[in-house]
Amino acid sequence: MRILLVDDEAEFVSTLAERLTMRGYQADYSITAGNALDLAAKHLYDVAVLDMKMPGTSGLELQAKLAEKHPAMRFIFLTGHGSEDDYSAGSRQAAHYLVKPVDINTLIAKINQTVFANDR
Amino acid sequence: MTDNLTPAPSVPGETGLRYVARVTASMSHEMKNVLAIINENCGLLEDLSFAAKKGAPIEPDRLDRTCRQMAKQIERADSILKTMSRYAHSFDHPEEPVDLHDLCQLVATLAGRLAAMRRITLMVEKPEAPCMVHKHPFALQALLWQCLELAIVAASEGSTLTLIPQAAAVTIAGIDRIEGLNGGMSSLPATITGEGTSPRLTLHLA
Repeated sequence: MRILLVDDEAEFVSTLAERLTMRGYQADYSITAGNALDLAAKHLYDVAVLDMKMPGTSGLELQAKLAEKHPAMRFIFLTGHGSEDDYSAGSRQAAHYLVKPVDINTLIAKINQTVFANDR
Repeated sequence: MTDNLTPAPSVPGETGLRYVARVTASMSHEMKNVLAIINENCGLLEDLSFAAKKGAPIEPDRLDRTCRQMAKQIERADSILKTMSRYAHSFDHPEEPVDLHDLCQLVATLAGRLAAMRRITLMVEKPEAPCMVHKHPFALQALLWQCLELAIVAASEGSTLTLIPQAAAVTIAGIDRIEGLNGGMSSLPATITGEGTSPRLTLHLA
C-alpha cells in the first residue's frame, strides 16, 4: 500500500513516514501542497493523509485538487483543531477525520478501513 | 487591591471575547502540533527499542536525532506557554504603563500562526525612544489584534506586515487593498492613510 502524508510540520510528517515505512508501508511525505501534487503525479497513492490547516493551500483545497486528478485516491484528515466547523467539513470530504496527536495503530486501522472499504 | 474580574475598559465585550477565543484556538493548535511531534518521536524510540530487542543494530545517531527533536519541541512548547502566560496576566491590572513596542511584539507573536496560514510575515519596528501609554494592556491587545486581523485579510499572500509603534498610536504598514477594511473598522479608533499608494492602518491609543 502506498501512502501520501502531507503536513507543514516537517518533523511530524517525516517521523510518521519513517514509522509507517518500518511497518512495511510505502510512505512518502510532503510539507507543501504543491510538492504533494507533484508526488501524486509521479506515484499512484492508495490513500493521502492530509493536515487540514496548512499555510496557503488548506487541506480541503488540496484534497479537492488531488481527488479531481486521482479519483481512486482516498483521504484521511489530520488536524490540531477540534472545531465543529472543521469536523463537519473534514468528515464530508474524507473517510476519517483524526485529531492530533494520533496513535499510529489507530491511524493504520483507519488507513486499512479506508483502503479496503474502497476495494470491496 | 486589584479586582481581576473587572472588565477591560473601552473594549466591547464581544471584541474581548473574540480575541480570547481566537488566541486560545491558535495557541492550542500550536500545542497540538508540538504534542504530535513529541508523540511521533516517542513512538519512534519505542519502534527502535522493539527492533533492537529483536536483534536489529541500534544507531546512536538516530537516537540522538530523535532526542534533539523532542528537546526542540519542549523548548517550543515552553515558549508558547510563556507567551500565553504573559497574555493571560495582562488582565491582572486595570490600567498600567504599556510599552507599545512590547505590545506589538506580543500581539505579533500571538497572531503568528494566523499570519503564517496566509503566508504573511509579521515584523515589529523598534522605535528610537520608548512609546508609552497608560491604559489597560488587555484592552490594547484586543484592539491591536482586531486591526491586525483586518490587515492580514487585506494583505497579499507572501507579503510582510510591519507594526510600527508611535507616540500613542500603532501603525500597520504593508496592506495591499483597503476594500473591506472600512466596514471592519467602524467600531475601532483607527484610520487609514495612503489609500492611493501604500495604505496604512493606524490605531489611535491616546
